[in-house]
Formats: sequence, structure tokens, C-alpha cells
Amino acid sequence: MSRRPSARALFAERSALALAVALFLAPVAWMITTAYKPARDIFSIPPTFAFQPTLANFVGVFRYFDLAHLVESSLIISLGAAALSLTIGVPAGYALARARTKWAIGLAYFFLAVRTVPPVATLIPFYLLMRDIGLLGTWWAVILIDATLNTAFVVWMMFSYFRSLPKEMEEAALTDGCTLFGSFARVALPLVRPGIIASALLCVMFAWNDFLYSSFLTRAESKPISVALLTAYGTKDITWGTLGALAHFSTIPIVLIALLLNRYFVQGLTRGVH
Amino acid sequence: MSGLRRRFAPRNDGVASPAVIVHGRRLSYQSRRRLFLILLGAPALIYVVAIALWPLARGIGYSFYDYSLLPARTAFVGLDNYAALWTNEAARQSIVTTAVFTIAAVALEFALGLGLALLLWRDHPFQRACLALLLIPVTVTPIVAGLVFRALLAPDYGLIGYYLATSGLSSPHGLFGDPTTALSTLVAVDAWQWSPFMALILLAGLKSLPTDILEAAEADGATALQRFRMIVFPMLLPAVFLALVLRTMDAFRIFDIVFATTNGGPADATNVLMIYAVKQGLEFFNIGFASAIANLMILCIAVFSILFIALVRRADKRANEL
Repeated sequence: MSRRPSARALFAERSALALAVALFLAPVAWMITTAYKPARDIFSIPPTFAFQPTLANFVGVFRYFDLAHLVESSLIISLGAAALSLTIGVPAGYALARARTKWAIGLAYFFLAVRTVPPVATLIPFYLLMRDIGLLGTWWAVILIDATLNTAFVVWMMFSYFRSLPKEMEEAALTDGCTLFGSFARVALPLVRPGIIASALLCVMFAWNDFLYSSFLTRAESKPISVALLTAYGTKDITWGTLGALAHFSTIPIVLIALLLNRYFVQGLTRGVH
Repeated sequence: MSGLRRRFAPRNDGVASPAVIVHGRRLSYQSRRRLFLILLGAPALIYVVAIALWPLARGIGYSFYDYSLLPARTAFVGLDNYAALWTNEAARQSIVTTAVFTIAAVALEFALGLGLALLLWRDHPFQRACLALLLIPVTVTPIVAGLVFRALLAPDYGLIGYYLATSGLSSPHGLFGDPTTALSTLVAVDAWQWSPFMALILLAGLKSLPTDILEAAEADGATALQRFRMIVFPMLLPAVFLALVLRTMDAFRIFDIVFATTNGGPADATNVLMIYAVKQGLEFFNIGFASAIANLMILCIAVFSILFIALVRRADKRANEL
């Protein structure tokens, strides 16, 4: 970028950016405000921006949904899948980064390739398998399949982080009498903490936002909030306002986490992809 | 960012590590180390093979059978399911729809993403704050994104849809309700959610460009457009290919937004392959045919990935020569 831009160019650049931000955030803003609109303002003809704020939609959410249970399902699925994928994915990323064979790079590419498979290709056989072994409709079914894509993601991401970490410190620790496991867990692992946080963040986001797997692998008693959102639509007495209120619990937590941990979120999006 | 080639260039691993020098322990240390790394890596590999690869293999098996649960029947049919992908008009239409959607969505997202990335390039708190805010759509649950746009575009009470319908800019059934506009509306919704991601990848590429070349070009009197065309864009190509391939793969697999808005309709106008496969497999339990659709998708992605790797290698080489 040029070093000394004119004031007019700067102003034009910022106005364009501000306009873009406003346009991209408008649907989210609409979703949030809808939750506080009474039904007559949502369905008014012609549509109106002005409304009398109300919490009636939130009352509706608690009346029509077992919200605590939906959030519990979402939490168990997304945290369970993230924990499983990090537990097995981080050590594997380390192993691939430190192995001295050509195989390691081939395997890293294999994990990358797994992430590109369209979900329906694994879902159909997996659905039949879960049905046969009686796990269909449980949280386990979703956790297990979410964790495959997540593991592949974590391995690739951590592979990239560990590779950019110099080996010298681990080697020094080894000469000082540290065990192999110690050189991994106590020397290398703390140094890639940003990578682990970024991986965890994206794993949770992926499983929390997932709809396809959960909608076919869970039942009424185990469905997460993302599935409830859609099954709610079209049901009697449920308005867009109720959905807006429900979306508060499905979308806003992730948005806030991504904003608070923005640095890690950006790292996860840019480094995990190539 | 500057790519696969540099990252995977062979490294000099022949240097003996301190612990290896000790004579007599050399072999045992090396094999202990190898065993340790295998133990660390094995769980993830076994897990992914068992839970992802094994179902995929079964899916390939199913695709050669007329395998249906309702009514229950299993008969070996060879390649008939694959032949049906072309002879069956709905399947052929679905392939075309998916291709049109993918190309249109990625092109629009690239144009918007590049524009945003150039606006975000300056290293300033204002730009950083805008980037953080622009990434919010990426985190929105795709099902929610679909529902929000469905509500906004509803012709009878939607904030946008009502005016589009009354002014005659959309059909009385709304943008999603008209077969001629439904797919392009989905393209727009997808672009709303993913252009910021495209911008982020391109921005990472822009920020890794060497500033001295750009400053030299500016000192030599090159206009902004010339600098972009002759220097920035050619050097940005690796990031461009990366951004394009990531979005192409995702757009090709679009499901949630379509499911929440049109669910393949109206009149199959938005019946993309994922929707088609899920309906065939998990609604009609026509497992054999659904598996064939899914395998076709895998094949397309595989061919595409190979093409992409070749392109990135060439672009990387060119960018390094510049």
C-alpha cells in the first residue's frame, strides 16, 4: 500500500469499508432485533423498522422448547467432539511434523483429503452402521462422526504449527535427560498453545454449527439447538420472533467467542486451510 | 502462504541430534524415537480410517447394488447407478445446477473478497476492527443464515422481499419462490456468508507481499492500477488459487443454506447434489443410488484437487521468479 495516501483517498477507503461492514452485518442485526419484536410488528404490512420492544419471544422460546436440554446437547456434542479430536489429533500432528520419512507428508495430505470429502458420502454408511450397533439417536453417533473431520483438521493444523517450531529445544531437553514424551508434552506442546486454542475454537464452531450430521443421527431427546431451529419452523404458534430469540442461544455464543478470541480465530481460518 | 512447494521442500534431517551421538545407544534411540512417534500418530490414523474411510469403502460397495431399505431389496446392478446419473434427467439437472451454483458463487465471492481484501490491506486499527466484524457472517450457523434470508426475502412480510414483490422486481412468490431467481438468490446468500472468508485468505496473501518492490514501483511512477496488474496480482496468485479452491470445494458441497430456504425447489431449480443425495439416501432410503451420487462428488473433488495442486505449484514458481 502506498505510504502517504491523500486524506481524500483514506476517507473514501474507510467509507467503503464501513458501508461493507454495515451491509454484511445487517442480516445479523435484523435477526437480533426480530427477537424483540412483537408478532404484529414482524408481520406488519408493509414491513416496518419501528417496533415496541418486548421479551415475549423469549417467553415463547422457553414455552415451546426445552432450551436447557437443547443447549446441553449442543455443548456435549461440540465439546465432546473437540476434546476427542484434540486428544488424538495434536500428538499425531507432532508425530507427522517430526517424523523423518516421506510417508509423513503423504499421511498429512491424507488427513487433508479426508476433510474435502462431501459429508453425505460418509453419513449414509455411517447412519446404517449406527443403526446396526444401536447408537443411532445418541450423542455418541454425532460426536464420533464430527470428530473425524475435526481430527483431520487438527492434525493438519498442528502439523503446520509443529513444523514451524525449531527442534533444537526438544533436542536440548533430551540431552538433559528428558524423556521422549517429556520433550513432546513439556517442551513442544506449550510452545504451540496458540495453535491448540485456534484448533479447539474451530472444532467447537464446526460441531456447534453442524446441521446435517445431527439432524439425521439424533432423535428428539438428543437433538442440538441447530436442528431444533429448523424443526421449529412451520410449527403452530412459532413466529420468526421465536426463531430470532432461539438464534440468540445458537449463534450469538459463537459470534462472541470468535470476536473475543479473534486472533486465534483468524489464525485457525488462515493456517488450518493450507 | 507461499505455498506447498516451500513447505514440503526436502529438509536437511541428516544432522545428528545431540542424543544420537552416543555410540552404542544410537540404534536403540532411533528405534525408540520411531516407535514413540508411531504411538503418537496411530490413534488419529486408526480413528479416521475406521470412522471415515471404512464407511466410504462401504459406500463404494453400496453404489454397485440396487440397495433400498423401503421397500427392502438388494440386487447387484454393476454400474447401473452410475449410468443413471446421466440418463436420469433429475440427476443430470442436479449436476448442472451444482456446477452453475459453484462457479457463480465462487466468482462472486472472489470479486467481493478481493475488493474487501484491498480495502482491508492498510495496517490500521480501523481496518483490523472492520476485519473482525466482517468475519461475523462466517461464524453464523448456516441454518440460521438460511432462515434469516428466507424471512427477509419472504414476499408477504419480509423486510426486503415485500418491496421486491410489490415493486415487481421479483415474482409474487418471492426470489426463493421463483425457479428463475432461486439459484441466484442462493448464490447471493452464500456470498454473504463466505466472501469475508475469501477476503481473509487474500488479505493474508497481500500482507506477505514484499513492500520494497511495491514502493520501488510507486517511486518509478507506476499508477495504482498498474501496480495491481503488473505486481500485486501476479504475486498474489498462490493465495488466489488457495482461496478459489477452498471455496470451490465448500460451495460444491453446499447443503445447509439450501435446506433451510428452498430445499431443492421450486421445481428442482436448486436441487444441488448434496440435497439430491441426502433426499435419495436418507429420506427415500435409496442407498445404492445415493451412494453413487456421493461417489461422483468425491471423484469431482479429487480431480479438482489434483488440478489445483498443479496450478499452485506453477503459480508459486512464477511468484518466486518475479
